[in-house]
Amino acid sequence: MPIVLVGVNHKTAPVEVRELLAFSEAACSAGLRDLIDGKILQEGLIVSTCNRVEVLAATDQIQNGTERITTFLGQSHRLPADVFESHLYSHTDDHAVRHLFRVASSLDSMVVGEAQVLGQVRQAYSLALEAGTTGKVLNRLVHHAFHVAKRVRTETGIGANAVSISYMAVELGKKIFGSLKGHTVLVIGAGEMAELSTRHLLNAGVSRVLISNRTEASAQKLAGEFGGEAVPFNHLPDYLKEADIVICSTGASKYVVTEEMVREALEKRRNRPAFFIDISVPRNVDPAIGNLPNIFVFDVDDLEAVISSNIREREREAERAELIVASEVMQFQQALRALDVGPTIGALKERLQSIARTELGRQRGRLGDLTPEQEAAVEALLLATVNKISHPLFSHLRRSYDASVPETLQAWRDIFGLEE
Amino acid sequence: MRSILLAVLAAYVVAAIHSVLAFVNKRRSLQRVSEWSMAIGFILHTAALIAEWLLEGHYPLFYRSETLSFLAWAMVGAYSLVLYKYSARALGPFTLPLVSILIFVALLTESESGAKEASGFSETWLFPVHTTLLFSAYAAFFVVFVASVMYLVLERELKLKTFSAIFHRLPSLTTVNEIATVAAALGLTFLTLGIASGMLWSSSQYNRLWHNDPKEIFAVLTWLLYLALIIYRSTAQWRGRRAAWMGVAGFALVLVTFFGARFMGGYHVFG
Repeated sequence: MPIVLVGVNHKTAPVEVRELLAFSEAACSAGLRDLIDGKILQEGLIVSTCNRVEVLAATDQIQNGTERITTFLGQSHRLPADVFESHLYSHTDDHAVRHLFRVASSLDSMVVGEAQVLGQVRQAYSLALEAGTTGKVLNRLVHHAFHVAKRVRTETGIGANAVSISYMAVELGKKIFGSLKGHTVLVIGAGEMAELSTRHLLNAGVSRVLISNRTEASAQKLAGEFGGEAVPFNHLPDYLKEADIVICSTGASKYVVTEEMVREALEKRRNRPAFFIDISVPRNVDPAIGNLPNIFVFDVDDLEAVISSNIREREREAERAELIVASEVMQFQQALRALDVGPTIGALKERLQSIARTELGRQRGRLGDLTPEQEAAVEALLLATVNKISHPLFSHLRRSYDASVPETLQAWRDIFGLEE
Repeated sequence: MRSILLAVLAAYVVAAIHSVLAFVNKRRSLQRVSEWSMAIGFILHTAALIAEWLLEGHYPLFYRSETLSFLAWAMVGAYSLVLYKYSARALGPFTLPLVSILIFVALLTESESGAKEASGFSETWLFPVHTTLLFSAYAAFFVVFVASVMYLVLERELKLKTFSAIFHRLPSLTTVNEIATVAAALGLTFLTLGIASGMLWSSSQYNRLWHNDPKEIFAVLTWLLYLALIIYRSTAQWRGRRAAWMGVAGFALVLVTFFGARFMGGYHVFG
């Protein structure tokens, strides 16, 4: 059965259009039940995230199916077609399969390689399952898409290198210390980025969090949130020696962490390495500490530069991922074709009828002269016999196909040598 | 024997190729092939060494081809330990190709007969102990060298804040530092015992502890350098970059000790 996909993504539509077309979970289920009525569209699912709204469907009628989905998008959001139609793309068959594989593998994402999109596709699938709008074709397709996404993630480095400042702290920490277990992070100041970094570090296994802020109360509050300790701001040098990772993000106009402080701390740390992330502008950590041995310091610009190089690395890996997707699309189509009962029955029927016709041709001479009516009757007799005998076989094949037992189908193909 | 060694070479070459590919492509499946192939090679290699010992009647570490083969064996052993303890797979693409080359050269030079007869040296158990310890030390120092170079690359890129493709494929800074430290300590232990057992053997054979030949002098220099490295590391003054540079310099001395003596002549020239 042909597959169609109609939708918009961050490349074809601005956010104003995408948000108009977005589906909530409830709207998604209701919409699916409305859309998949079994007349034009047999199966369907809706992927709706902040970067894309896509409807994937299995249909017998590609043209009508595509139009039906387009009308549905307009109707369900009460939008005139001209608002969104120019932003729509539609793919059929191989292209639709390829598109879904690319979406699930995060090749079509704004940040290539981000991990959320697979979860969003999973969510979309489970909504469709609940709504009962998936069937043989989409079940197979979506499961294959999950398989492709897993392959891409394990066989390429597409999600390997951090592409956000908050995650850089974890990545650099691991590159320097190996495991983060048993290590201490000191957060100076506050701010969304510092908090996010700390959260990532905690998830990655950091054992101890120290928080220091000019206003004692906010340090206390943050410490409570992370299960850390608030440490007094004027005693910073005492705690610097204990910190392996320092995240600095204050509004101060001069250096909060000076070279002198770090030099002393390094001595007390017996030269154990430490690294500093300075996300404040103007900078709060003296960049000169980078000249000290075993001290590594990154400011916002450094992090941005690393991130853009990581994005380039991801794009290189994405090229390898595209090859995986291409080969998987071919495999999926082959599997689907082998599974499709229609062509198998057609081919079997043809094989049996051609046997009947050949035999008739061989014995035709002995029958002598026949009128055209007699001639037709003999042929009809033969073909009807063949069809009557093979009918139970075909019914059995259809039943086993519906019960998803592809082996039966394959067995008959093998018996009659239909592969050649 | 030659046919076993050919099989060993084949296994190591397969391991080396897969290790390099795994390093470049970051593929775990290739790494598994590499490790299995290396394990098979190592078992065969060990069997070949034992068979040679039994058949030829002398400890298989005397002629030049034997020393190369034994060195390769020790290096594979050292890499296996690193793999087991630190799962630092990145050492593979630097170790295994070299191991393959050593075996290849060993195969080429096998027919060559030595200037001295091996039999005279096998009479005491001290001589094989002396050579085995020293070759274990060489293998350990090779690990120190590779880990130190990795440390220098990592440290340099972290300081410059620009990360090349190789950066993402290396173990962490702490890991390579630890590998270098532990391997240096082991290497120094082997070297100390190796030199001591050599002196004992020499005194029992010739009533002389010291022959003053180039190999001995360089061995002592090497010993001093690694001793300094260990002391500076443990006092926490020289950990990091300078320690890594010493690890590199130390290996240069090891190479001079191992190969150089051949050109400078002296008592320690055999094969």
